[in-house]
Amino acid sequence: MNTAVTRRAAPPPRRNWRFRLRRDRSLLLMTVPAIVLVIAFNYVPLFGLVTAFQEYDPLVGVRYSEWVGLDQFSRLFDDPLFWGALKNTLYLSFVQLILFFPIPIALALLLNSVLSERLRNFIQSVVYLPHFFSWVLAVTIFQQMLGGAGALNQFLRSHDLGTWDVMTDPHTFALLVTSQAIWKEAGWGIIVFLAALAAINTEQYEAAAVDGAGRFRRMWHITLPGLRGVIMLMLVLRLGNALTVGFEQFLVQRDAVGHDAADVLDTFSFYYGIATGNYSYGAAAGLFKSVISLLLIWGANRLAHAFGEDGLYRK
Amino acid sequence: MGIEWNRRRFISAAATVAGAAAVAPVLSACTGSPAQQTGANTESGLQAALPAYLPSTAVKADIPAVAGGPDVLTDAGFLSYPANLVTTVSGVPGRGGSYSAVTPLWGTVPPAGNSFYQAMNKALGVDLAMKPADGNNYNTIVPTMTAAKRLPDWIQLPAWWNPNFNMGGLVGTQLADLTPYLAGDKIKKYPNLAALPTGAWKAGAWGDKLYGIPSYSTGFSIAGMIQYRRDILDAKGITADQVRSADDLMNLGKELTDAKAGVWAFDDVWTYLYNSAFGAPYKWRVDNGKLVYKYETPEFLEALDWHYRLATSGYLHPDALAGDNANANTRFYAGKTLIGGGGPGQWNLADHQSGAAANPNYRRGAFPIFAADGKSAPHIPMNPLSTNVLSYLNAALKPEQIEELLSVANYLAAPFGSVEYSMVNYGVEGVHYTMVNGVPTATEEGKKDVQAATYPFLSSPQAVISNPGADVVTKDYAAWQAANVKALTKPVFWNMNVSMPLSMSTADAAQAVEDTVKDCYHGKKKVADVRAAIAGWKSGGGDRLTQWMTDNVLQKYGTGQ
Repeated sequence: MNTAVTRRAAPPPRRNWRFRLRRDRSLLLMTVPAIVLVIAFNYVPLFGLVTAFQEYDPLVGVRYSEWVGLDQFSRLFDDPLFWGALKNTLYLSFVQLILFFPIPIALALLLNSVLSERLRNFIQSVVYLPHFFSWVLAVTIFQQMLGGAGALNQFLRSHDLGTWDVMTDPHTFALLVTSQAIWKEAGWGIIVFLAALAAINTEQYEAAAVDGAGRFRRMWHITLPGLRGVIMLMLVLRLGNALTVGFEQFLVQRDAVGHDAADVLDTFSFYYGIATGNYSYGAAAGLFKSVISLLLIWGANRLAHAFGEDGLYRK
Repeated sequence: MGIEWNRRRFISAAATVAGAAAVAPVLSACTGSPAQQTGANTESGLQAALPAYLPSTAVKADIPAVAGGPDVLTDAGFLSYPANLVTTVSGVPGRGGSYSAVTPLWGTVPPAGNSFYQAMNKALGVDLAMKPADGNNYNTIVPTMTAAKRLPDWIQLPAWWNPNFNMGGLVGTQLADLTPYLAGDKIKKYPNLAALPTGAWKAGAWGDKLYGIPSYSTGFSIAGMIQYRRDILDAKGITADQVRSADDLMNLGKELTDAKAGVWAFDDVWTYLYNSAFGAPYKWRVDNGKLVYKYETPEFLEALDWHYRLATSGYLHPDALAGDNANANTRFYAGKTLIGGGGPGQWNLADHQSGAAANPNYRRGAFPIFAADGKSAPHIPMNPLSTNVLSYLNAALKPEQIEELLSVANYLAAPFGSVEYSMVNYGVEGVHYTMVNGVPTATEEGKKDVQAATYPFLSSPQAVISNPGADVVTKDYAAWQAANVKALTKPVFWNMNVSMPLSMSTADAAQAVEDTVKDCYHGKKKVADVRAAIAGWKSGGGDRLTQWMTDNVLQKYGTGQ
């Protein structure tokens, strides 16, 4: 994360690969388990994508299932439910980008300015905690507070005020899921920004303070530039995942707001693919999503490089 | 150098192992695609295969069973646990063979080789390795076993997953044909199996042959009914027989809902009303010789309209509207909802204990089956299959092995009130249970090892109503069954197993319509939206499904009624 410092050092001359291999032997060995896991669970299953071009029947197997070419895709693109799910996904992704993304950064800056270490640790623990709850629990808590029979509405009812069941209102669903996501994940999201903040050389602050820079000037000229690389990296990753807005959160609340509002690409693949034994259809929807995601992450990475940042890797 | 070689080899070896694990079932399944068969039975062919029915007279019930129409019978009721247990199996059934058995389990898996398994092996005279698997993802475990052709010797395959398991392709190839051992009078060798009702055997028959051994069979097989808090409604002077029409039920909603006090009259009732009160078919109906799917019947849309009004009138609990069914019983026990739909399985001792913990007066009741208009004769279709719990033997077993396991199944199917039943369900007295006030009560060891349903999922006797310690439940439920037994009717394709091609089962699942239906009875979509979804379903495969069912099932095999 210490990008500002490392970039200044001149890159060491490249040695031949045998020398580097011998030098980095232990480091390479340590990466082996992770690589094995990635191969076993990310690359090997890729072969299953072939089912997207078949009428896959689990009992007959991949090799003998009927080959249908692009039939699944043409059915997919004719399916209004698929376009509805894609629209929901993009809309939710956009809302989350605008409303969710800045919050961990702001939280990290706030937390960084708290001087008492005990208070800082306490706040940190409190905002981390919801990350470890399952979505079922998180949604239940929201239902207990904001649901039609929840604390808020029973209070309104007992005072003869109008009630509003936000948990079953499809029109405000995007705001609901975003606020749930903020409550649950924003605290967890600050970790990477806190690490980046810790990497900023404190001498710079001291020097700036001596030069008479106030609190905001220091934030603007030292803190934010120090965070820029990480923010860009997170943004690139976020864009690459634009079509992945979550699964359980929508699965749990699908019946509450109806499938029109709650179906995203992942729940679409599940309900219209796996749940009804239509594996190939689900695989086609999944493959479509992966291809678009790959294009998005590639584009975002190019953009980051264009801005002179590292993006996913240094150019 | 050496390192690189090692690392590569390690990775490639690991990848081969992982890849092989993923691909192996697929490869070994490639011995050719089984020809697509419907698996349905013919009337005469099935008749020759079905076992004789010899009801058990070993134990006399306190509340005898009452017959309704053909194949319809209430469950016998037992008030106290029989003090003198009868013996129905002499000697040990097994001859020392070793077998494996896999069953789904919804609960904590008991430790392998525990004292109960050991005691059972001794009683059965076989070495039966029980391997209960998590019921929640059972439907994903089984296809890997069938694809690899590595089924255990004895396996339970719940019928609601028949399409997932491709049962039509498994019977005869991987699952043993039991017809030569059980057809007609041959079953007399296994008297406890002979006491299982004929309908339950039909549920495990494919293509005029017997495959499945039924568990939990009953002559009163319905999805459920509309249940209510009898203690609370009694106190308000409302009795069940005052509800004679859909309007009566709706009016109760107005009378009982008090949102300010946090009480709503209703929880979800759709699943249990559309095909009983409103008379829409469970799936199919034959109108003037033509096959009609439930979506195309006016009754289905009427039922939806009523439920849409129920939801939008504010009589349905908001948590139910939010799709939270898991806590429906909690709401019911707490008196936050007073009327809800439910299966007969939840009207039992455990329910009574949970309800009484929340309110000592707790009493569950059920409205009689009624017709929505209040005038027609009340009716409720029986479940498509008499039982959904069926176990199968591996086709690779030798005839004498099949006979040995059928003897074991005969032991497991011993009736309520027998020594064998007590062993299978409670274990060894003094070790797994003790008698407390005449009621078998599990010890800590019994709770851990016995209470998980393992052996009954392989074979079990005809269902009885028995709630030792809560006679009110047994009396109430037995009385409700007796009062409504005449309302049970056979649905089209009753107990007919049909295996259909994938494109047909997709149309049959009709996910898009079912989603819209749910939105409608929760008040979020109008009936017109459902009509539109149905129109899309018809052109997108529904009409082809009807044609396929007409050509391949109705015209060849009849209606099964």
